[in-house]
Amino acid sequence: MTNEFGGIVVHAAARSFGSVQAVRHIDFEAPPGEVTALIGPNGSGKTTLLLILASLLAVDSGSVRVGGIDPVADPQGVRRLVGWMPDSLGRWDSLSALEVLTTTGALYGMSPEERTARAHELLETVSLTEYTRQPARVLSRGQQQRLSLARALIHDPQVLLLDEPASGLDPGSRVDLRTLLRTLAAAGKTVVVSSHVLSELDEIADRAVFVSRGESVRSQTLDEAGNQVRRYNIQAEPMDALAAELSGHGMRFEERGDSRRVEYQVMLDSTQQAAWLLRTLVLADVAVTAFAPAGGALEETYMSLDTDRR
Amino acid sequence: MSVKMQQPPQMADERTLSTRSAVGTVFGLEMRQRLRGRAWYIMLAVWFVVIAAVFLLALATMGSYMDIGPMLFDLVVGFVLFFGLLVAPGLSANAVNGDRAAGTLAVLQVTLLTPGQLLAGKWLASWVGSLAFLVLSAPFIFWALALGGVPASEAFISLGMLALELGLVCAIGVGVSAIANRPLFSIVATYMLVALLSLGTLITFGLSTALVMEEAEVTTSYYSYPMPAENLDDQSPEPQPGDPECTTETFVQPVAHTERITWMLAANPFVVVADAVPYSRSAADAGQSGDFGYVENYRPPGVMEGISQQVRNFQAGPDYNVTCAESQGLARDVDDKFPIWPLGLLLQSLLAGGLLLLGYRRLRTPVRRLAQGTRIA
Repeated sequence: MTNEFGGIVVHAAARSFGSVQAVRHIDFEAPPGEVTALIGPNGSGKTTLLLILASLLAVDSGSVRVGGIDPVADPQGVRRLVGWMPDSLGRWDSLSALEVLTTTGALYGMSPEERTARAHELLETVSLTEYTRQPARVLSRGQQQRLSLARALIHDPQVLLLDEPASGLDPGSRVDLRTLLRTLAAAGKTVVVSSHVLSELDEIADRAVFVSRGESVRSQTLDEAGNQVRRYNIQAEPMDALAAELSGHGMRFEERGDSRRVEYQVMLDSTQQAAWLLRTLVLADVAVTAFAPAGGALEETYMSLDTDRR
Repeated sequence: MSVKMQQPPQMADERTLSTRSAVGTVFGLEMRQRLRGRAWYIMLAVWFVVIAAVFLLALATMGSYMDIGPMLFDLVVGFVLFFGLLVAPGLSANAVNGDRAAGTLAVLQVTLLTPGQLLAGKWLASWVGSLAFLVLSAPFIFWALALGGVPASEAFISLGMLALELGLVCAIGVGVSAIANRPLFSIVATYMLVALLSLGTLITFGLSTALVMEEAEVTTSYYSYPMPAENLDDQSPEPQPGDPECTTETFVQPVAHTERITWMLAANPFVVVADAVPYSRSAADAGQSGDFGYVENYRPPGVMEGISQQVRNFQAGPDYNVTCAESQGLARDVDDKFPIWPLGLLLQSLLAGGLLLLGYRRLRTPVRRLAQGTRIA
């Protein structure tokens, strides 16, 4: 799936800052043509891993290959391939959006005509054409994020590393981002996205790597995530009938005292079991008004890891 | 959002970044930000007002001198150097860590830009930024020149040396800014280094003279006015001075062998500039001892020329034979010693180069060792 010449392969990467072990042991694979999500709580080593992949940080041990190239041995080679969007909003305030992009393009060795054409194209892509000549300081946070994304794409990189790209984006821009990332993946690029917005990732990502306290704890595809044990929330009118029916099938349920309405939460092994339960309830004349997974597939994994930790 | 997937005209892995283009881009980036900010213009305005005030004040107070051109010229050069040493650290010493604080350094580092190109671009931009201050003082330099008495060669060498000194201070500032994490610290550290060069060298030199004191026989001459004994009884209210005589005495006294420690002064920016300029004194204002012990046609040296004379004096070592002319304040006739300014430039360049080298090592990526409490991005 991931060959030597494309995508990202990380084996047993470790990196510490003084006494702080930011990355203890991370295995990570991101094949070309797919969007790989990097998921973990704050301080779990996501940003550190992305810095390592972007050739800014060296690993203490372990092996890293980006597009088949070792970033420590040949950082320039990696930089030609990689577009990196940092989580911090570094910006040149007085430069116009166009200048931000052309300056970055120049530093990637693009010719003046090439980078100007590409910059205009990208400003259109991220819907910032009206700010082409405006200084970057007038942009809102979400617009800054989009400009930062365009900057990462300026040299048409084969590998895209995005650190929290969705933060600060309005819902419309999130949909745009999702479409853009899917398009890039479809064109054979390797896309890595770190994010906390797990429901977003459900729809964008093909696979996910979970990191916790500097270790990669789980790696799964979205299909796998969809087929794992999940919690479902069920509501019915009246709830008594639902309770009786669930008890009748020997299913354990938990009452969730939500502020607005009471709902029952059950654990289901698979989507097949969910389908069976819904059919059973409907056939038993329980007036089901809501029947849905308690969270996204990735969120389920995330929460299960979270509870493991405690 | 949709992104065109057409193959770029150039394949991505064929792109290379030439050093010229890299340095030019960083320079352009810095200059654009500086020109669009307000701070630089305010500093330029303040500078212009202060130089103008000093110049006009000097012009007014020294108006009584016959030949004020060289004095004023010297004063302006000295003052511009003094102010330049104050301004250049401010323009250069946050070049790199300012970007680090703003989160834009990593964005540059992740491109094909190398640390050397980054430092070169930053240095060039801060140098050009501080040269603007020199350009702004040019009207006064040329005004002083127009008053006459200063050959154009002296003026242009002075300007060249000023530009060079600003460049060196900027290099020191950029180097420190790449080493230190916080802009405030690096600016203060750069000021300290400039103070070390300007004042520290003087203090070291002064303290070291005690170490090079030796006893030596010194012949001292001075003019005296013999008062004939009969004059004491003279009733005339004004004593008639006789012809002054040059009296010579020889003592054994401690002398400082300054020629052994003058090199300590070499790295002083004022010494470098003063020493590099060939001061030409026409025979007319070189001064000569008049018949009556008065010095005629003597023009006292300006600030910078004075420094130059003093340094040459130190280089020559103790004066074992103080002539009568010297006792009148005329410059001692010192054999042309080797110029000291190349040594000064060398020492300053070594300091700047060393700091830039350390900065370069801090900017290399992928980073292996990261200073405590810093983030890359």
